[in-house]
Amino acid sequence: MVDPLRRDILLHRGIFVAVALALIFIRLMPMGGLPGTLPGPDLLMCLILAWLLRRPDYLPALLIVAMVLLEDLLLMRPPGLWAALMLVGTEFLRSRIALTRELSFVVEWLFMAALMLAMFLGYRLILAVTFLPQVAFGYALAQVLASILFYPVVVWLSHVTLGVHKPGMGEVDEMGRRL
Amino acid sequence: MARNRTSPEEFARPIRRILIGLLAILLLALFMLWRIDSPRVERFRTALVDRVVPSFDWMLLPVTKAGDMVKGFQSYTKLYEQNQDLRQELQQMRVWKEAALRLEQENAKLLDLNQVRLDPKLTHITGVVLADSGSPFRQSVLLNVGARDGIRDGWAAMDGIGLVGRISGVGRRTARVILLTDSNSRIPVVIEPSGQRALLSGDNTAAPPLEFIEKPDMIRPGDQVVTSGDGGVFPAGLLVGAVAQGPDRRLRVRLSADYERLEFLRVLRSHDLEPLTDPGGLVAAPVPTEPYGPAPVPEAEVNAEAAEAGQDG
Repeated sequence: MVDPLRRDILLHRGIFVAVALALIFIRLMPMGGLPGTLPGPDLLMCLILAWLLRRPDYLPALLIVAMVLLEDLLLMRPPGLWAALMLVGTEFLRSRIALTRELSFVVEWLFMAALMLAMFLGYRLILAVTFLPQVAFGYALAQVLASILFYPVVVWLSHVTLGVHKPGMGEVDEMGRRL
Repeated sequence: MARNRTSPEEFARPIRRILIGLLAILLLALFMLWRIDSPRVERFRTALVDRVVPSFDWMLLPVTKAGDMVKGFQSYTKLYEQNQDLRQELQQMRVWKEAALRLEQENAKLLDLNQVRLDPKLTHITGVVLADSGSPFRQSVLLNVGARDGIRDGWAAMDGIGLVGRISGVGRRTARVILLTDSNSRIPVVIEPSGQRALLSGDNTAAPPLEFIEKPDMIRPGDQVVTSGDGGVFPAGLLVGAVAQGPDRRLRVRLSADYERLEFLRVLRSHDLEPLTDPGGLVAAPVPTEPYGPAPVPEAEVNAEAAEAGQDG
């Protein structure tokens, strides 16, 4: 006897895990990926940010950290660092949900672009402070720019196929409170 | 909006903030642990990859095959040109094949005459490429052979023609190959025919540059690059590629291995070289191991000599 709203949240969390796993494994496929080609977008980051802004209750912090940490470990990145930055970035966003709800999409997009760039710079900074070898700046920046470009696509796809959208006026959560 | 929230929320919020802070500190601690004691965390990562990736084998293989089919379909449009090129190439190859056969026979004869003993222990294990590194900034592949097949760190991996990379990280069922193009890859090479030694250091481009060349004037584009075997881990004489000069006048290597379709890789078993610790018999007086002629030697002396020889051996 799970009530429909609770079930909706659980369902979407399950979908998120499935989509995130699929994204990681698509990246692991041994297909091309020749050195020197332009890096594609970080779709998992786009997905997390897009969903979080719309329905923060779908993505608890632990779930985000678990998926990003798994990605860190499987893709041979320094473990934990990107996960920590994603956690800080998403918490920053989560505490400003009430502010971002009224934004038009273009402003939201700019806001997200700034957030992605900030996380990217933070990542580079920490790598530099710990004396780790880094990829050339422009080359790594290309990935962030690709992510920014793909963000609207991810938003549109998750709205059309999975119905992830900002809560409307009269929607209530499982305890009957307004969202 | 906040007025509608019931009171438990107000107590939960600071606690949640503390927990989030703890989680962030935990993640950063993991990162610092990796930075300080990398082998331990890398071993954990290898074990995780070993557990996770092969269990998705059923999904990885068909999708990869489908992707290859799409690529193949695109190349149908260029079928005619390809056919012509291949015919021409085949013609040239026939000439080479004749030459190679002749040379092989000659070589075998000469080796036989000289009684040269080649290293017979170079055997290989073939593995299938399971997965990529998944990131455009790292160049490595995951093979489906691992410690249970006897794979060890540092062994060379080749495709049919040339060197592809080096084993780095072995799990029970999987092994990771760092490709020559990865920015962490450094391989000692020799440039034939001049015999110049150099270091092939990957820099995340398709043609890695040669570094530390003693006399760059003696090297021409088109020269062959093979491994030198310096350092003792890699077998010597594996084909790597051909020298080419980039637009920035740096000497680079066009790799022989077909990096676009890495499917099966051979991992060469290279056995540990026995280190030479014995200074040899030249320093001390040579010990005759077998007496010449039927010289009458007292039995006790023979025994002592035999014992000494046994110790030396």
